[in-house]
Amino acid sequence: MPLTANVKSDYITTLLNGTIVSLKNIVPINHTIGKPQLSQKSLQIQFGVLIGITGDVKGKLVLSAEKPLFGAIGEAMFGMPLQDEMLVSFSGELGNMLAGGLSTIIVEKGITTDITAPTIMDGNTMLSGYERSLVLPVTFESIGELKLYLLLD
Amino acid sequence: MARVLITDDAAFMRMQLKDIVTKLGHEVVGEAENGLIAIEQAKELQPDLITMDITMPEMNGVDATREIRKALPAAKIIMCSAMGQQSMVVDAIQAGANDFIVKPFNMDRIKESLSKVLS
Repeated sequence: MPLTANVKSDYITTLLNGTIVSLKNIVPINHTIGKPQLSQKSLQIQFGVLIGITGDVKGKLVLSAEKPLFGAIGEAMFGMPLQDEMLVSFSGELGNMLAGGLSTIIVEKGITTDITAPTIMDGNTMLSGYERSLVLPVTFESIGELKLYLLLD
Repeated sequence: MARVLITDDAAFMRMQLKDIVTKLGHEVVGEAENGLIAIEQAKELQPDLITMDITMPEMNGVDATREIRKALPAAKIIMCSAMGQQSMVVDAIQAGANDFIVKPFNMDRIKESLSKVLS
């Protein structure tokens, strides 16, 4: 049965709140979250991670930031500077932890989902082909900005 | 001291787990990046303990745990996943896992789990 507009809107609120809580649980750096914005445009990424979401909600969670920001988060979480292959691998794992955390949180609200292994985007990448996207800008104190996108199919 | 096989698709996570498990006085005898490789390595290396991620390409950790359990009934298996919902934990335990750690983890949590399953 197709979802009604009200149910969709409830799902979106639950997904957004779940993403914010998951981020707070996982990343031990003070941050502020900007206003979520809805968009239907294609998405341009220089470096980021994509995790597929399946189940009651279908879509993708995308994290996009400059590589040093992922490195700073890794250092804050695991106490070691990360470079090259390990930095890329950590970035994928950060996406996995965020999406896994989100999935764990929203099941309490009755939304059952599973996630895919992360896909890394390194270099100019254009994403399109989803119904709509929500972007959540996250500013980490004295480090920089991470953009979290929820792409809904 | 236990002989440990580490399974995770992320090289970074394997490095972290290897570091922690080694610091806790155990020997890491192998690393696997998906469930299929974990089954092969488990049969070949006969580890005492296996850490198992769930979301991995090729074969997920729950299916791999089910297969490994048939071949190595005495091996201890600790799931180590970002997915912490109850249904996932129940699936893993039913497949034969001895404990479940939700990522991100720290050394204390790994130590606690290893002590529990190896005692």
